[in-house]
Amino acid sequence: MTRLVLAIMKKEFLQLRRDPRLIAFILFFPVVLVLLFGLALKLEPENVRMAYVDQDPSLFSNLIKTNIWSEGYFTLYEVEDEAAIRRAIRLGEARAGLLIPRGFSAELTENAQPTVRMFVDGTMPSLATAMDNKKHAITDDAVTGDMYFLDPDADNVVIAPEPFHLDVEVLFNPDKKETWFFLPGVVGVLIMQVALILTGTAVVREKENHTLEQLIVSPLSKSGFVAGKTLPYVLIALADFYLVLALSTWLFGLPFPGSAQWPLLVLALLYVGGLIALGLAISTISQTQQQAIFLSIFFLIPSILLSGFIFPVEAMPSYVQPIAWVLPFTYFIEVIRGLLLKGNGIADLYPHYLALLGFAAGFIALSIARFRRYLD
Amino acid sequence: MSAAHPASQVRRTTPALSASGLTRRFGNVTAVDGLDLELAAGEIFGLLGPNASGKTTTIRMLASILRPSAGSAQVLGLDLVREADAIKRRIGYVAQHFALYPELTAYENLDFYSHLYGEVHPARLTELLATYGLERFRDRFAGQLSGGYKRRLSIACALSHDPELVFLDEPTAGIDPVTRKELWDLFYDLATSGKTLFVTTHYMEEAERCHQLAFLSRGKRVASGSPAELRAGLGGRAVWAFDADHDPVLMSRLRNLPAVAVVNRMGQSVRLVVEKDFPQDQLRELLAEWPGAGEPQPVRATLEDVFIALTESNS
Ligand SMILES: Nc1ncnc2c1ncn2[C@@H]1O[C@H](COP(=O)(O)OP(=O)(O)O)[C@@H](O)[C@H]1O
Ligand SMILES: [Mg+2]
Repeated sequence: MTRLVLAIMKKEFLQLRRDPRLIAFILFFPVVLVLLFGLALKLEPENVRMAYVDQDPSLFSNLIKTNIWSEGYFTLYEVEDEAAIRRAIRLGEARAGLLIPRGFSAELTENAQPTVRMFVDGTMPSLATAMDNKKHAITDDAVTGDMYFLDPDADNVVIAPEPFHLDVEVLFNPDKKETWFFLPGVVGVLIMQVALILTGTAVVREKENHTLEQLIVSPLSKSGFVAGKTLPYVLIALADFYLVLALSTWLFGLPFPGSAQWPLLVLALLYVGGLIALGLAISTISQTQQQAIFLSIFFLIPSILLSGFIFPVEAMPSYVQPIAWVLPFTYFIEVIRGLLLKGNGIADLYPHYLALLGFAAGFIALSIARFRRYLD
Repeated sequence: MSAAHPASQVRRTTPALSASGLTRRFGNVTAVDGLDLELAAGEIFGLLGPNASGKTTTIRMLASILRPSAGSAQVLGLDLVREADAIKRRIGYVAQHFALYPELTAYENLDFYSHLYGEVHPARLTELLATYGLERFRDRFAGQLSGGYKRRLSIACALSHDPELVFLDEPTAGIDPVTRKELWDLFYDLATSGKTLFVTTHYMEEAERCHQLAFLSRGKRVASGSPAELRAGLGGRAVWAFDADHDPVLMSRLRNLPAVAVVNRMGQSVRLVVEKDFPQDQLRELLAEWPGAGEPQPVRATLEDVFIALTESNS
């Protein structure tokens, strides 16, 4: 019995050893993935972009900004007015905002408890929650204590225990619903699976079936082959796309603004088109279905973890962030959250649309170039 | 066996296929080495060779599936490389491996392959199913057909667009003799209707059925001609046969005789392919030591003798 098992085991290992590519995948992927995730994954964001308006530049407002900055959590940059803050967050240029109102220092010294306003992007609930925890960076005793002692003009002023109010406004997803954060991304993950696994094995299967040869011998053109092989999966992926969206809206109340219809269709076509083409390219590169599936998964895992789907891209060290920008999913997530949760239109998101268009064009070109009209 | 050849077709002046210096290398393996071929229209041409001699590679090059490393060919009067697209519409190819979609039915496979060539006449597909005895299996999944019926279906698929030249790579490998005969009857029908057939095989009985043959050994053509020409063409060699019980010692002693090229056992008899200056006395002396060994006689060469002789002398 054991000898039998050993004999089969030995055969399996021998077979694996004869597929050097698969071995490379099996050994190389874990190393890459461990390094990537060891370096990249943190739940705590860093360097989140915060747009600020300081309508009363003073010692106090500087103190607040410096404290926020030195916390290492936010990177501040100045914008014109409150509208600019809201726009920056809507467009994803900033995840948070800070507004120090006119007359802040005067009210502070008069002990009138002025209000400092913060804005946070509710489409990233983890960010909003983290922000709540970070409030102390501005409001705790060390800071407010400084505010009292550092003011040279304050003679007979008694500072209240809380020198100013902090008013945090959650934009776009006021209830900070985690499901709203995840559901739009789930659509994208599903499409990736359909596109990469189904299309990825589509050509290899013809190779393994020996039917590829029979297709090559026919007058079928390259583009005819590529179109015929991929369009069914494009349709399947699109059907999946709308199925998941419909379920998400019905069951979990995910917003679906009427204005998002067409931009969403464009998004679906670009994203599905690009990934199906990538699947086809994987399929032409692979020699066996196993290899194709391995390659697909190698693409899937970083897409899920490094795209901002689960962890904000801002949470990744700056030298890992470029990986996010070469994953179509990163742009997809940004666009679909923008369309559904922030009420953005194509005009607001066009750089992301362009990126997706670029991926689609590139992957289609790659798959056509990779497809040979000869077997060699 | 002597197969009755159908009445020879009126030979057209341009050959259906001609190749010169056709060569294909895989890394440092030369699978096909400077091959010259010429096929007349309407004939059944057999490419003979042991395994790995380059038969499949030759067919794949001629069917525009593989690119030749060197050499040139005209297929149906068109240049193999420059006019591949035009050639593809007019040739059919039955691969050595079944190239069927197992989860499609027989009819769906046929329908699919015929659509690749544009023109589809459902009546013609039904007729093809009938010709190849597949009517009963029309709605059976291809993956569930027996080997013989898979082969019939593969051939029907390759013929759905009515090609003028059909390549058949070992079309009867692993097929029972009755089915093999039926398939060959169909091949003759095709040839009679004016199609040219290019068949590879390593069955001698099948080689006898071809009009013209070429022998391939290690990628090189070592002989060609009609079966009769090839049998006669052992060069100056002759074939001797005698009965004897099997004995490895006898076989090795025979091999060590001077001027013996091939020693081949066929059941109870032993066949020797020998050179012109073969010393008959030595053979008789040797056999005298073996009780039960029969008297050696010169016999008519078969294609198998020729095939083995050519293959062994080339290796
Ligand atoms: N795609 C390939 N890559 C490398 N070597 C090959 C390939 N195809 C065939 N060969 C080699 O070329 C030789 C001839 O093969 P093949 O044409 O299949 O012979 P046959 O059909 O006569 O059995 C063999 O040695 C085989 O290993
Ligand atoms: Mg072969």
